[in-house]
Amino acid sequence: MPLLDSPEIAAREYALLDAPWNVVVHNDPVNLMSYVSLIFRRVLGFSREKAEAHMLEVHLKGRSIVWTGPREKAEFFVQQLHGHLLLATIERAPQT
Amino acid sequence: MKLKESDDGGILLEEIPPFLFHLLGEISSRAEIKHPRVDARFFPDPSEDSELIEDWKSLVQPELQAIFQSARETVRADLRGASERDGSMSLQIPKPHGDAWLSALNQARLAMVEEAGFGEKDMAAEVPDDLRTPRDAALFQLGFYGFLQECLVRMQGD
Repeated sequence: MPLLDSPEIAAREYALLDAPWNVVVHNDPVNLMSYVSLIFRRVLGFSREKAEAHMLEVHLKGRSIVWTGPREKAEFFVQQLHGHLLLATIERAPQT
Repeated sequence: MKLKESDDGGILLEEIPPFLFHLLGEISSRAEIKHPRVDARFFPDPSEDSELIEDWKSLVQPELQAIFQSARETVRADLRGASERDGSMSLQIPKPHGDAWLSALNQARLAMVEEAGFGEKDMAAEVPDDLRTPRDAALFQLGFYGFLQECLVRMQGD
């Protein structure tokens, strides 16, 4: 019989629900670099320097993790980024 | 064509040649979704989780669709307010409309690239002045929209 209510399982489930999620922005050849930086500043509240660093990471490496935190807020940021036509996804952050 | 900041912090485009004004008039129609690739680019999946994808399609996509459409309507309305003088056009983009223009120009560029299947090399290539082929004309149009977008980003971002 599964131990559904065991403290160990409950703790593991809670940890999964509470696990952080990454917001990932992916490269595309059309969006202007300056536009991507502007959107990072507006949506994620980045400084100009931080926005440009992430924009360059997207451009050079193909993707950049721009935010990590609770799933609901990650989804909110992805929705905002999609609203500006940036390619963004959420993915579970690796557990440490 | 002259571009300058208007008194309200918006953008004033003056002495727009008829050909370029024609291209401005095409922003909205270029941004329409006529190909599945454009649809996929405008509404990308938010993750690999099929449940989230389904929720996204039913809850988020209609909202995004409305945002994109509203931006195109703002651009159309601004274009209707353009004035003619000595055979060229003048157009004011009020500061509060800057985001709508950024969005509509981005939609048009993304849609054109997806429809034509252009890659990075195509967009980086020099476009011949005589625009002999539809491909050249499309690349010129992309470049023009990109130039305007860059100007708007600079004005909005500072």
